[in-house]
Amino acid sequence: MDLLDLPVRIFSDYTLRSVALGAAVLGVANGALGSFAVLRRQSLLGDAISHAALPGIALAFLLTGSKASLVLLLGAAAAGWIGTLLVLGIVRNSRIKQDSALGLILSVFFGFGLVLLTYIQRIPTASQAGLDKFLFGQAATLLKRDVQTIAVLGGVALVLLMVFWKEFKLLSFDPEFGATLGFPARSLDILLTTLLVVAIVIGLQTVGVVLMSAMVVAPAAAARQWTDRLGVMVLLSALFGALAGVAGALVSGAAARLPTGPTIVLCLTGIVAVSLFLAPNRGLVWGWVRERGSRRELRVDAVLADLRILAMQHEGEERAHPIEVLRTMAVGHGGVDNSLRVLEERGLARQTESGDWTITARGMEEARRQSGTREEAE
Amino acid sequence: MAGIPRGEAMEEAGGAQAIRVEDLTVAYGEKPVLWDVDLEVPQGVLMAVVGPNGAGKTTLIKAIMGLVEPVAGSVEVFGKPYREQRRLVGYVPQRNSVDWDFPTTVLDVVMMGRYGALGWLRRPGRTERHLALEALEQVGLTEFAGRQISQLSGGQQQRVFLARALVQDARIYLMDEPFQGVDATTERAIVSLLKGMRAAGKTVVVVHHDLQTVPEYFDWVTLLNVRRIASGPVDTEFTDRNLRLAYGGRVSYLTHHTHGETDPGAGG
Repeated sequence: MDLLDLPVRIFSDYTLRSVALGAAVLGVANGALGSFAVLRRQSLLGDAISHAALPGIALAFLLTGSKASLVLLLGAAAAGWIGTLLVLGIVRNSRIKQDSALGLILSVFFGFGLVLLTYIQRIPTASQAGLDKFLFGQAATLLKRDVQTIAVLGGVALVLLMVFWKEFKLLSFDPEFGATLGFPARSLDILLTTLLVVAIVIGLQTVGVVLMSAMVVAPAAAARQWTDRLGVMVLLSALFGALAGVAGALVSGAAARLPTGPTIVLCLTGIVAVSLFLAPNRGLVWGWVRERGSRRELRVDAVLADLRILAMQHEGEERAHPIEVLRTMAVGHGGVDNSLRVLEERGLARQTESGDWTITARGMEEARRQSGTREEAE
Repeated sequence: MAGIPRGEAMEEAGGAQAIRVEDLTVAYGEKPVLWDVDLEVPQGVLMAVVGPNGAGKTTLIKAIMGLVEPVAGSVEVFGKPYREQRRLVGYVPQRNSVDWDFPTTVLDVVMMGRYGALGWLRRPGRTERHLALEALEQVGLTEFAGRQISQLSGGQQQRVFLARALVQDARIYLMDEPFQGVDATTERAIVSLLKGMRAAGKTVVVVHHDLQTVPEYFDWVTLLNVRRIASGPVDTEFTDRNLRLAYGGRVSYLTHHTHGETDPGAGG
């Protein structure tokens, strides 16, 4: 149960290795396909599909009595698909908007699924059905053949994504233009959504229907922070998904049977937080740094302009001015001391022996240039 | 085809119009957006489609390309249904119809114009790259090829869309408000591009908002307000009477306009 042993045990422990493999594949598939969902502003669709899948799982079990993962996943996929079609149908044929339609389908299907689950657990012969693992996910319950199913389905979805890469990119960026080129938006949309359904369905046993949408949205949102290229974004997103999936699955398996879904979501949260704050260009921290920098620059410019005004008022004589004068002139912004230091470093201002400040010849020139560009801009 | 007077060019194509629209009616729900529109666009013209807001200008060009399903009517391109002639028609959609924060580069967007010629599954390669760079040069954006598209100004984004249409190498171009919200540089660039296309024998249909520039930029005009008000040469059809019919007399431009030349006093 020692977390530090985990990396070693992945290579020695057969069960652990297959769990890690399953989690990695579902993470890659959801990360990659989730990128397209996020870019097409369909993040919530993932949530609706995964919740809608629950009654499908329960019905598949009730109808066949089988707990084989392929049977349950087929039920999940069918229900997820029907839920998606209903959302589209509601939006197309009524005045209800997409967000409300998603909310409706999500809760109705999920509620129905919970009723069915409760019913199944009351059947005496099926008391050990264990379908409730589909709620919050339990990676430890992944058997070898479950992992095989995940790997095959996930692999097929990824191959199709690569085969239709150009078409899906066009669909995501400009579907109408694509249609005029002869790539029908409706059919491509159906294909891409089907691949997303597959990716979601193979993750349900590990992550659970409740939190599955995090697996779709979070890696893509994090990846978008780091790059401006679609290909790089999809690769990064797949990598983030796999990382979170494997880490979550292993930690939950090792530590006192924690549910896997929440553990994975915690890992994803870490990845998203780091990306949101630290990514270059888009990261918030860099934004703050840039803003601070430009604000400081503006203050320095303002102080230089004040020095020039003072120098012009006393034309002909080189006079130094006490810092208090500059502070008074700089009402509304602080940091006069710092700004003067910066100006001195740049050779634009000079401190006399008495501690007062005066503008240098170069400073005069620079200040004139700046006021010139300001006036031009106005 | 350059330099051939339009009349002869038409005859050369067996008299087939570049675009022929018959009895086109489009409705969103109960409300008709286009009502029984007949339209002929001769080959080699630069045509402006003007009309008040909600007149169905955008819907007209979308219906021509089958992007909206008409209630009735037919569209022919060079005498055949649009479906069979898709490759001959290039499209410049409204700039704000896409998300400019999409993670892709200028060059990548322009190469999308070749996807139709590439067909299913084939990936763009060196040829497409080369054509895209050429088109970017034509619109003056060569040094922006590697930029992420969100870093462009509105006018530059518009020129990217034009470059994307150029690499389609179509014979007919349908453009939806290419002058919308662009800077003076881009406006000039687009105008000279349009005139270059006409000189090369292309047919260009432009949804246009600025009535004052119609006589200066275009030689053919269609006035639209759900129904077709008038369509033909600017000299004969762009008249006070037709404009009043299309706009219901709400046009300040009416009192000032003169044919075929710019009128600096038309600003009021």
